Amino acid sequence: MVGMSVLRSAAAFAARLNPLKSGNFAPNLLSRTAIRTDKVAVRWESHGKQMFVIKPTGYYDTRFLKLLRFYILLTGIPVAVIVTAVNVFVGEAELAEIPEGYEPEHWEYYKHPITRWITRNFFDSPAKDYEKMMALIHIETEKAEMRLKQQEVRKHMRMNGDGPWFQIETLDKNLIDHSVKSTPDN
Amino acid sequence: MTSDSDKNAYPEPPRQTPVVDKQTALPNPALILTKLFYYSVDLPVTTFKELVDGIQSGNKQKYYHQKFRRVPDLTECTEGDYLCYYEAEMQWRRDYKVDQEIVKVVQERLRACQQREGASYQQNCANEIQQFSEVAKAYQSRYGDLGAYASSRKCLMKQKERMMAANAKA
Repeated sequence: MVGMSVLRSAAAFAARLNPLKSGNFAPNLLSRTAIRTDKVAVRWESHGKQMFVIKPTGYYDTRFLKLLRFYILLTGIPVAVIVTAVNVFVGEAELAEIPEGYEPEHWEYYKHPITRWITRNFFDSPAKDYEKMMALIHIETEKAEMRLKQQEVRKHMRMNGDGPWFQIETLDKNLIDHSVKSTPDN
Repeated sequence: MTSDSDKNAYPEPPRQTPVVDKQTALPNPALILTKLFYYSVDLPVTTFKELVDGIQSGNKQKYYHQKFRRVPDLTECTEGDYLCYYEAEMQWRRDYKVDQEIVKVVQERLRACQQREGASYQQNCANEIQQFSEVAKAYQSRYGDLGAYASSRKCLMKQKERMMAANAKA
């Protein structure tokens, strides 16, 4: 108490004063180290006080969305890159008149380079498809003609009886025993 | 606007945009907007296209329109000749597609003419209107209600009905 200045004690006294708060009467204020228990200095983190938020699990939702994005982009990004590269660096074909005496290949009738590539390497030409269909029709026509002819021939053979079909096998006539009626007195 | 990039092979008809005749000192808002559109959209897109064309200019592929030979019609096929039927059917289908495109082209011309002329289209586009009405009537009478499963045979039967109706009327 002797070494302490009057100003310091006055400042300490004034700092602890709060006329609106309870407990500000004489016995509490006289001591030099009055411990305030209603206010405490708290140190929080940078984002404020950490709260424990109770909400339903988002684990399955986020897992699903992550997997969806992954599997879509796994082929989506290469396809997008390839298509963009083809469109920028190769580019679509230009329309031109067919030169004299020149027979264009079947892929040269398409505009986009990817379509041309697909028809060149994987598909048959439309002319070949046309011929394939015509071959099928020809086979079916022949089958229909054959069936009609067969029906006609069958009808005739059945009616006339002098063809190779509809022959009924009978016993050999040499096996017949004529002794029963071979003489008039039997 | 055609979808083909090369206009030398199949050229479009010449443009008929009217000449501007300005009689006032006020700025034209339509002009301002077109300039704005030009600098913000048209110019970047055109420069990008020219860039890309520069990259692609070396090895430009060509594509052609296929020319098909004419084969005998359905009326010229003997009965039971299914191969002839097939070829006639394919030719009819190609002609059907071509006729649809013809109608679309005529329609596009009428639409462009109406857009050009504005309020006085009925008077100034009389040619296009008449051409379109003729083409539409012809298309309707030939291919009109054949439906999704149209075939050359059904079209032939429709023609027969038309001829019978014409005979009955005459």
